[in-house]
Amino acid sequence: MVSIATPVRLATTGCVTPFGDATATHAALLRGESALRAVPVLGALGGDPAPMALLPGRALDETAPPAWIAALRTLLAPTVADGWGTARRPVFVTSSNFGVGNLHAFRQHGDPANLAFGAPALCVEWLRRDFGWGENITIFSHACVSAHLGLLQASRVLAAGLADDALVFSFDFLSPFVAGGFHALKILNAQFPAPYADRATGAIGLGDGAAYAVLTRDRGDFAITAQNLFNELHHFTSNQPDGSGFAACLAPLAALTSGRRLWLKGHGTGTLEAGRLESAALAAAFPGAPLVGWKGALGHTLGSCGLVELAIATTSLRAGRAPGTVGTTGPTFGEHVAVTPFDLAGFDAVLCASNAFGGAHAAWILAHA
Amino acid sequence: MSDPLNLRLKRLLIDTLKLEGVTPETIPDDEPLIGSGLSLDSIDALELVVQLEKEFGIKIASSEESRQALASVASLSAFVRARAAPDRLPAP
Repeated sequence: MVSIATPVRLATTGCVTPFGDATATHAALLRGESALRAVPVLGALGGDPAPMALLPGRALDETAPPAWIAALRTLLAPTVADGWGTARRPVFVTSSNFGVGNLHAFRQHGDPANLAFGAPALCVEWLRRDFGWGENITIFSHACVSAHLGLLQASRVLAAGLADDALVFSFDFLSPFVAGGFHALKILNAQFPAPYADRATGAIGLGDGAAYAVLTRDRGDFAITAQNLFNELHHFTSNQPDGSGFAACLAPLAALTSGRRLWLKGHGTGTLEAGRLESAALAAAFPGAPLVGWKGALGHTLGSCGLVELAIATTSLRAGRAPGTVGTTGPTFGEHVAVTPFDLAGFDAVLCASNAFGGAHAAWILAHA
Repeated sequence: MSDPLNLRLKRLLIDTLKLEGVTPETIPDDEPLIGSGLSLDSIDALELVVQLEKEFGIKIASSEESRQALASVASLSAFVRARAAPDRLPAP
């Protein structure tokens, strides 16, 4: 277990999803809209249709340079010329995919221009030069808790006095390689996801997503008050059947927030087994707290989900209204699952939980500073 | 006499997963495949599903369907028999 209970301030955050920036994404979620569409899982090669949310105008098959570069430049425009990547202003870059779509494209078409993005270090180096960052870059990848790991490590660096500010940046864009892999596991199939829905079969959707957060010791209207990472080391693709892995990650955070009123943003991809275990663990650790999941609208943004959803949660706190669990109707795993939006008056904070292959669990707590 | 489809499925299991020291005769038709019995895990299931779809021309739609089909050799045999074209099945 790796955790930090020293609050870190959130100076600014932003995201890009198929709906647009954080404000546009929040508004779309409040309206109950979904960005998921049926897309052939192997892109230009066809294959079974599966629910995916791609940035507008972007095809599943990658180009060189990647079609998502423009979206990242727009996303990070507020941070340009801020001296990121220097000694006291480190950058933490996370992803579960980096440029693997370009590696797939190289294998398909042989265009060597794809190789500049094909390995994580090469891809990040290309972005570093394009964004004008210095050399102080750290790269993390830990499946679907990658962004959480980047946030936690940036927070530790700040708490230790090793930096003045920290930029955490995460990006994940879909490709036939990624979609094919999830399809082979039979969890990405023709059915659209309904997080925490108590139904006969489960299904996920996948989504493009990128986000950033500027962390500081003393500036910003919001604070990440605590974070935790735990790996149950049970199996690559499944959890301890008793849900103890989920509980172990949540317990320290529940202790820290005792007496406070939280709402919960769960991982909730739409799988049945993990969704049931996660829902039960959250209900046990935070009795009475409403639970929402947004991956039924955005798809699972993979390694970047912890940071994309931080941007949306921050927007929710600022607006005073939380989107519900879009895509979910009918019976759910518990009464605590909130299907429709709700007002945040009276709530003290939000907990965001994410889970990953390999039995990794992560969570942060966000509140007004 | 053993059902020819059951025998073929057991050989597919052994070959795909490279089960050393295991022969078709040592796999009971109703032995659990996942978890207990042969103790196959989800990665094994993934490999099996890919091979089953390829060999019999069938589609397994979801992880739940996969788990039901792979409960035992008997359940897998029934699943394949219900979905495969007759010319993909061994002669009775």
